Amino acid sequence: MKQTTIRRLISLGMLGALVLLFSCMSSYYLNGDNLLEIVRDASVAGIIGVGVTYVIITSGIDLSTGSCMALVGMTMANIYRYTLLPIWMMLLIGILVGLAAGLFNGFVVAKLHLPEFIATLATMGIFRALTYAIAIRDAGGVITSQAMTYSSFVRWGGTVGKLHYVSIAFVIAVILGQLVLKKTRFGTNLYAVGANKKAAELSGINIAKTRIMAYMVVGLCSAIGAIFTTARLQSTTALLGNGFEFDPIAAAVVGGVSLSGGYGDIVGTFIGALFMSALDNGVLKLQMNTAYQYVIKGVIIILVVMFDAWYNGRMEKLAQEKGRKEAVSS
Amino acid sequence: MNENVILEAKGICKSFSGVPVLQQVDFSVKRGEVHALMGENGAGKSTLIKILTGVYTKDSGSVFWEGKEAVINSYKDCQKLGMACIYQELSVIPPLTVAQNVFLGREPRRMGLIDHKKMNEMTQELIERYDFPLDPVALVSNLGIGLRQLVEILKGLSCDSRLLIMDEPTASLSGKEAESLFAIIDTLRKKGVSIIYISHRLEEVYKLSDRLTVLRDGKNAAVLNHDEIEPRKVIQTMIGKVVDESAGSSKEMRKNNNEVVLEVQNLSDETGFFHNVSFKAHKGEILGLGGLIGAGRTELVRAIYGIDQYREGTILLNGQKLHPSPKRSIRAGFGFVPEDRRGQGFIPLLSVNRNTALTNYDRIKKHGMAVSDKAELSMCRDAIERIDIRPADPDKQVGLMSGGNQQKVVLGKWLMRDLKVLIVDEPTAGIDVGAKDEIYGILEDLAKSGVVVILVSSDLQELIRVSHRILVMRKGSVIREFDSGVITQSMVLEAASGLVEKEVS
Repeated sequence: MKQTTIRRLISLGMLGALVLLFSCMSSYYLNGDNLLEIVRDASVAGIIGVGVTYVIITSGIDLSTGSCMALVGMTMANIYRYTLLPIWMMLLIGILVGLAAGLFNGFVVAKLHLPEFIATLATMGIFRALTYAIAIRDAGGVITSQAMTYSSFVRWGGTVGKLHYVSIAFVIAVILGQLVLKKTRFGTNLYAVGANKKAAELSGINIAKTRIMAYMVVGLCSAIGAIFTTARLQSTTALLGNGFEFDPIAAAVVGGVSLSGGYGDIVGTFIGALFMSALDNGVLKLQMNTAYQYVIKGVIIILVVMFDAWYNGRMEKLAQEKGRKEAVSS
Repeated sequence: MNENVILEAKGICKSFSGVPVLQQVDFSVKRGEVHALMGENGAGKSTLIKILTGVYTKDSGSVFWEGKEAVINSYKDCQKLGMACIYQELSVIPPLTVAQNVFLGREPRRMGLIDHKKMNEMTQELIERYDFPLDPVALVSNLGIGLRQLVEILKGLSCDSRLLIMDEPTASLSGKEAESLFAIIDTLRKKGVSIIYISHRLEEVYKLSDRLTVLRDGKNAAVLNHDEIEPRKVIQTMIGKVVDESAGSSKEMRKNNNEVVLEVQNLSDETGFFHNVSFKAHKGEILGLGGLIGAGRTELVRAIYGIDQYREGTILLNGQKLHPSPKRSIRAGFGFVPEDRRGQGFIPLLSVNRNTALTNYDRIKKHGMAVSDKAELSMCRDAIERIDIRPADPDKQVGLMSGGNQQKVVLGKWLMRDLKVLIVDEPTAGIDVGAKDEIYGILEDLAKSGVVVILVSSDLQELIRVSHRILVMRKGSVIREFDSGVITQSMVLEAASGLVEKEVS
């Protein structure tokens, strides 16, 4: 069996085991409504996870997604409050802000050659600070939340039947994301850049362009995430998405995207996002102290990354030994 | 000009900061021939290849491709002409399939999406044309190094390359993998593809090549046709007859009858870099380890020092069994000067003072824990004085010093200890002549004071000049010991290439 297939089965197995565990521990866990809730709560992290997966495949990282969401949300709040622009224009501008944030990240990383971790740590601060700078204030100058209650906006936070719009968007993002990754040159180039930059360059791939585009996809996904989040909250604050950069990365890692680049795909991240959401949901259902949520998540990430490092090393070794054997038999 | 010649270089000259590396070198490759390029380390082979592939610009001379003068300023230019270089460090993308690797950056598309079906078919066609044991949809990460190399060759061929450059292609292949590669090379030759084959391994070159160009000290030493390629002749040409018989490059080996300090018994490692190696080293002896690159010398000495694990065997120091780890080895009286000086020998950003202290904290601590600055400084001054490190400034950042003085700092920190065994791996690579002599002097003084020095060197002249006794390794085993009589560079190289072994059998 292929290495990637085995890894996929492992993340599916983890998700199944987790659902099974919580189903045994709580009678409120395994039912249709709760499962839909788990999918809904996985959606925003999962949508952003599509972009983050691209970046991680190029062996990068993006820590600025939470702040980027806040900046997009606050930009839309300003348009909502101070202009007469139609809702679709507000959404479009929100998306453009997300793309611009991604472009900036990509520029700093690919053109100024800063390490991804530091570059996006810095822009995480920059985007958050810009959000405060344009935050809506009350008469006394104190930052407040801005209600956004037009029905044509708010309905995106709702459902069709029992299915949430955001869940539908999540599934579409996963399908499109996987298609682009597997069926376009851009997708192939992401793997090439992540696995072997020198070889990619010798094959005529524009490395800087590939990396910048990956960060722009993250920006786009963060903007979409911000739209669905604010529509559901019917408001935004300067604190939107605070600490949220963790979840898409966690989803990708649990789903088998290798932090050293080159391996993983969107379907993996999809499973990872569902896993993280199923975990959060279970902790709530069991009425455990929510502080433990992050302890558990952190421990799981450590274990998964340790496992992947061991597993990938092992597979590499097996391939070499197999190669020797094949050469002997031929 | 001969119609059959695909690539011709004439009068190529290149110098680096005034030092000539290539002087008036001529080189030509015919259509469908395997042309071997040989020479000792530093003879100019890789410089010539880098000029042909556009990595370096030549100072003068001209390159003709199919009879027309060609300008090659980048690897892209070289690809456009129809040349491809199969890199030593493989440049495949493991997470992608064979077909994706072959067509990377040139994927056939339909309506903006990659046409995987067509791409796989095109790859299959290529595979069949050249008869490679590959599957277009196999993931490269599941392939061994030998097959990965074939993917790279296929990639070169898919761009219509008519000349492949292979630089030490068998360096990381097992014997059987190499055999498969030779079969492929033979097929390619029959299909009219030319190959420049660079290798240190003489037997490969005899087996494969139609012609052979030997470079020596940046000049053409000979061009030989297939039937003129005769092992001893090639070695003589590479080393040069005059040099071989001159005083500096032959020496009498001698046995040392002092007590045995270090004994290695049947040492083997996991992956087969070395197997069943046994030797004894006596007090005050400089024991040279000769062999071709990839013979397993570096891996062996790393295992003896304790950086890498070995699978079985025993290491005895003064008759006591040793379970090496760097920490235990240092305590037991080992010193180690690694091959990669800048990467592993010293800390470039730290001062001479701090670098000298690195392995000697047990000597300069006070109150159990803290480091005594005074003791540190006086130890460093001691080292500077003893081996004449320049500038004689304990605060000088080692990364900014010359190569020779850097190496002296690396050596200096070991001289401050009560050494029993010093292992030095390629101690003078990239160091100027004057400093080389000083380093040889240091090693000789150490031996006189009773230390065992184990010298790994690919510089034959150095190996013979410094060593008292020489062991030659080949493919992980010690195959020859020179412990008496006058030996020459040719003799060592013949042993390292396996010629002597063949004659015996």
